[in-house]
Amino acid sequence: MKQLTQFFNSLFLAELFKGLSVTGRYLFKKKITVQYPEEKTPQSYRFRGLHAQRRYANGEERCIACKLCEAICPALAISIESEEREDGSRRTKSYDIDLTKCIFCGFCEESCPVDAIVETRIFEYHGEEKSDLYMTKEKLLAVGDKYEEQIAADRAEDASYR
Amino acid sequence: MVTIEINGQQVEAEQGQMLIEAADKAGIAIPRFCYHKNLSISASCRMCLVEVEKAPKPMPACATPVADGMVVNTKSTYALAAQKSVMEFLLINHPLDCPVCDQGGECDLQEFSIGYGSDKSQYAEIKRVVKDKDIGPLIATELTRCIHCTRCVRFGQEIAGMRELGATGRGDWMEIGTYIEKSIDSELSGNIIDLCPVGALTSKVSRFTYRVWELANNDSISAHDCIGSNCNAQTKNGEIKRVISRQNDSINDAWISDRDRYSFEGLQSDDRLTKPMIKKDGAWTEASWDDALQFAVNSLKDIKDKSQIGTVCSPSVTTEEMYLLQKVMRGIGSNNIDHRLRQSDFRGQDQDPLFPGLGMSVADVAAQQAAILIGSNVRKEQPIMGHQLRQASLKGAKISFVNPVSFDANFNVAHEFTIAPSQMFKELKVLAKVALENSSAGAPEGLAALVSSVKVTDEHKQCIAELSDADNSMVILGTIVQAMPNYSAMRILASYIADASNSTLSYLTPGANTSGAYLSGLLPNRTQVAQGEFANTDGLDTQAMFAQKLKAYILYGIEVERDLDNPVQASQALDNADFVVSLSAFVTDAIKAGSDVILPISTITESSGTLINVAGIWQSFNAVSKAKGLSKPGWKVLRVMGNLFNIDGFDYQSSEDVINELKSALALENSQSETSRATNQLVWDCPENISAQTTDIQRIAELSIYNVDAVTRRATALQKTQDAQVDVAKINSALAKKLKLEDAQAVTAKQADNTAQVTISIDNKITDNCVYLSAGNVAASSLGGGFDTIELIPA
Amino acid sequence: MANEVCFRTLHLDEPWTLESYLSVGGYQSLKKILTEKIPAEDIIEQVKTSALRGRGGAGFPTGLKWSFMPRQSEGQKYIVCNSDEGEPGTCKDRDILRYNPHQLIEGMAIAGYCIGADTGYNYIRGEFWEPYSRFDNALKEAREAGYLGDKLFGSDFNFDAHSHLGGGAYICGEETALLESIEGKKGQPRFKPPFPAGFGLYGKPTTINNTETLASIPVIVEKGGQWFLEHGKPNNGGTKLFSVSGNVNRPGNYEIDMGTPFSELLEMCGGMKDGYKLKAVIPGGSSSPVIPGDQMMDVTMDYDSIQAAGSMLGSGAVIILNDKVCMVNALARLSHFYQEESCGQCTPCREGTGWLSHIMHRIEHGHGKQEDIDLLDKVAGDIMGRTICALGEAASMPVKGFLKHYRDEFQYHIDHKKCMVGPGSK
Repeated sequence: MKQLTQFFNSLFLAELFKGLSVTGRYLFKKKITVQYPEEKTPQSYRFRGLHAQRRYANGEERCIACKLCEAICPALAISIESEEREDGSRRTKSYDIDLTKCIFCGFCEESCPVDAIVETRIFEYHGEEKSDLYMTKEKLLAVGDKYEEQIAADRAEDASYR
Repeated sequence: MVTIEINGQQVEAEQGQMLIEAADKAGIAIPRFCYHKNLSISASCRMCLVEVEKAPKPMPACATPVADGMVVNTKSTYALAAQKSVMEFLLINHPLDCPVCDQGGECDLQEFSIGYGSDKSQYAEIKRVVKDKDIGPLIATELTRCIHCTRCVRFGQEIAGMRELGATGRGDWMEIGTYIEKSIDSELSGNIIDLCPVGALTSKVSRFTYRVWELANNDSISAHDCIGSNCNAQTKNGEIKRVISRQNDSINDAWISDRDRYSFEGLQSDDRLTKPMIKKDGAWTEASWDDALQFAVNSLKDIKDKSQIGTVCSPSVTTEEMYLLQKVMRGIGSNNIDHRLRQSDFRGQDQDPLFPGLGMSVADVAAQQAAILIGSNVRKEQPIMGHQLRQASLKGAKISFVNPVSFDANFNVAHEFTIAPSQMFKELKVLAKVALENSSAGAPEGLAALVSSVKVTDEHKQCIAELSDADNSMVILGTIVQAMPNYSAMRILASYIADASNSTLSYLTPGANTSGAYLSGLLPNRTQVAQGEFANTDGLDTQAMFAQKLKAYILYGIEVERDLDNPVQASQALDNADFVVSLSAFVTDAIKAGSDVILPISTITESSGTLINVAGIWQSFNAVSKAKGLSKPGWKVLRVMGNLFNIDGFDYQSSEDVINELKSALALENSQSETSRATNQLVWDCPENISAQTTDIQRIAELSIYNVDAVTRRATALQKTQDAQVDVAKINSALAKKLKLEDAQAVTAKQADNTAQVTISIDNKITDNCVYLSAGNVAASSLGGGFDTIELIPA
Repeated sequence: MANEVCFRTLHLDEPWTLESYLSVGGYQSLKKILTEKIPAEDIIEQVKTSALRGRGGAGFPTGLKWSFMPRQSEGQKYIVCNSDEGEPGTCKDRDILRYNPHQLIEGMAIAGYCIGADTGYNYIRGEFWEPYSRFDNALKEAREAGYLGDKLFGSDFNFDAHSHLGGGAYICGEETALLESIEGKKGQPRFKPPFPAGFGLYGKPTTINNTETLASIPVIVEKGGQWFLEHGKPNNGGTKLFSVSGNVNRPGNYEIDMGTPFSELLEMCGGMKDGYKLKAVIPGGSSSPVIPGDQMMDVTMDYDSIQAAGSMLGSGAVIILNDKVCMVNALARLSHFYQEESCGQCTPCREGTGWLSHIMHRIEHGHGKQEDIDLLDKVAGDIMGRTICALGEAASMPVKGFLKHYRDEFQYHIDHKKCMVGPGSK
């Protein structure tokens, strides 16, 4: 009996129609494809994109060169040189993130005691040469300055979970 | 021996030992802040509270002596409750600034708070804030972080011998400070940084430029005095970021001097030489190693009379370099090689011991019961030796000084004979006469006649009696006396005094490796011929080399104007020479002016090598930091020079090959790291021609603490300390009155035709009719011999 | 009978003079000992019989303390009198120094004889200028009259005493801090062991006794240990000075027999002032836990009875509090005192006393939090038993005591941000 059923099933291409029925169902369903770049998917406020360095409202950079991000970075993408600034405070001489190494895990942001290094929602960036993807302190601060409003809003939203 | 039980484990302990020592020995960790092995017990942090059976309260392990059958629990709920409560108390007023604290990552408080701290603070009040104190150029303070363990205070009282820090105020207003605004001037001050369990005291040098987890640990040896203190040079990316001490109970305990700690700053000096340079037609050009070496070798080959080549080497380079340098020079037929840069009296050099050493281990000094130091500012010259002598003194040793200056001592000085350099020989005659009267052994021929006319005082008698009565005692020749004109005569008297009083004759030598220089044969008057045997040679000593104006010179690791006893004489000799090759890590205008080719050699921390300390301990080390530019370790440069001269036996593959060759030449086992301590005793042979007493004003030159070598001179933080402010001519008020000079007056110092502009500083520690103008500093570089007569002319 | 021991000259005009003291039989005990060559052991035995216990606060049997001294050993030994009477509420030693200094000097000399010391120091509280000069004058008088100096009363016993004015630190009442202070160092307690009997002043064996203890000695020697004992109860011998202060009509020092009921003492003091009700008593100086008034009325004034009531006799400073006293305010004041007076040497006391004071300040001023009472209790508990000296206990015992009996007042302060009894309570 079992053999008989198998014979008719294969004779009338039952499997094929079963498969095609799935295709057919989706053919008439509402499409979820996003027409990037005209359309964009919604983003979480926790999105981990391009890094930025933040400043305090008075313009002072937040980073205190504690190097916890450098220590925690699993991809060894961050390198920091620190120094004693003229006013006696501990500051970075250089703060570099190599985006070609970065795996966007977000540990740097989590380890930062002063919310200086953050990951923004920006994921559409490019570089024309490799060095463009080497983010220096100036570049990171520029990103931070430009998107501070968004960054602050995102941190505020997440505050109760941190 | 008693047996106690800690956490159920049977532990053997010595009677009278504290619980914490027994636990440490058994590998049982007890948290602590105020306890330190080398300091007294204060039992004030209470972190080491443990449960002791039958005790009504938790007991501090650091202050509870062991008793047989004691049952201790360090981890019971009871003990932990006590430890955790103490931890909480310590943390309530401690700032949460670990991210900007240089101690972060090696902080005891941080570490123990992981084990004993709570993740939540119940303290809701305002934390204590303490104003930071400026305590000088070496140590940064952040006293809000202080947990009042008082290690720094106890260090000052017990080790440094200067009560510079103390606790003022009481209760939670207690503060560590200097009472009145003042810098910390002890030559061992940097150790309080190592001692501070938190970040209250950190180093001002390299501040904020590293985190401890970035540093690589490199065991190294300090190369700024003859002690050979063990240290740990910590590097980041091949650059030394800091130097900390490394425990060695037979040498430096847990301490190193500030000089050893902070000199590394000089390695990054702007005037480091990075490429070989050749002078052609009066203009300096950079050259490749091949060209420069070939040029140097060819030019030296052109000197037909090899006895016209003189080689002067710094006493602070590795033994390997010294051995190869003398091997190259002897290979080409020149015996004019010397490392005794400041010595001016070489009579009696044929009686030199195998190497001039202590005759005992460094730690043994602390067990002496009496000592006379002749011409030594030991505290500043060899700070760790000063520490050992202080420890001896604290145990009751009688320590006396025969010096031209009444140097500050940090212990009780039994007797102090402060006399002009020209009178020191006479003073030693007096001591020798007393020793002669006390001794049952007969006097060597000539001695009795020599001392017959001198007058003896009670103090001299007492001083010698203390020496003779002691079981262990020493007569120490310091570096100041070794530079004096009558050194050989004074040495023979010192030797006799030591003989007659049954003491050890000891030397404290200049530089880091004088022992190595002697053992490797870097001397004009002797060379190794067979296993452990030497033959006399007839080379010229440093003084003669420059006085006789040779045709060619090789300067190894030397800044002529600052390293030599008579810089003017030397500079003239160099100007007069046909060819001068300098091997140096630094390039200065003076080096350029005096040389024809300069070869960049690496400093001691950038090269592997061996230093032999004053006790004869051979200590080898690896290169710690990256060599600057194209500079090369000296032994490699010398090896290639040997090849270029076609001398046999220059196929070394490593610095170990070199040192092993020297060890076998000295008939030492490879494994042996200590040269059997040579007896320093001399045969009586007092030179005639003792330079006469003079009524002229005499100069006293001492190589000041932060002028000892090229690297130290470039350590900017050290140069800002009080001890480094030596660009003055010090005279006592009597001489000032006589010369009608005032404090801070600008004068011209004049020695023969040489002059220097200096300011007067009135200091009654200087003996009569003498001008203390320390050697090695800028002013002295245009003057003559360190103990020659001097004039002060108001400007 | 009152004023029989330490205040036995008090009925005279100018009781502090040598003349006054001699008129009540002064220096006769010392003379008797030295002329009759009574062995030290016998005197120590008498003192043991008398059950004289340290009057400074700890109540350690004096005879036993003396017997710890290595009397036979060679070398310098010291007797030190502790007149650094810093305990809030206590003023008895002050009046001994003011009104009967010679008896103290005689007591020190006898103690010196017993322990083999030829030098005594009296460390007097920094604020006690008048008592200090009185005592110094007395020393001068005694020296001139030959009661101090070499070969006293023709014997081969030499004894001289010196006074030392402190710098005004409570902690110097702690015996080892006192020794440090005499040595010219910062007054910080030493870690024990070694105890002063082995390693004391300048590293020499030293006995330290309270002023009142030493001043009682001449009378014990004169009248015998048994006589003294009978004035008190077994184990609580003799008379005791009580410094009564607070809301009573006649505050002051009262020398009464040990074991006198508290109610009698209160009566001597003229009862409660202005007719207010007795609320609580701090029976032995500020460090002793507070006892509620009604409970206190059943207590007799001696070591054992007060201990049974949950406090301690301490230095005998009886602080009477009426029902208008805010206990929160009282404890805040005490905590502030201990914060001020902690020497700062060891962690629990340095940080803990400050913490306690901060919390108390907050509660008192209406910023208390619900968890503060438990926190107070915890912090006090964390200090106790973990410090070098007893100041840690002294600071935490009052906290424990106040919380035990008056927790509701603290709770009220926290809940209502105002006081239950004191000003602003309505």
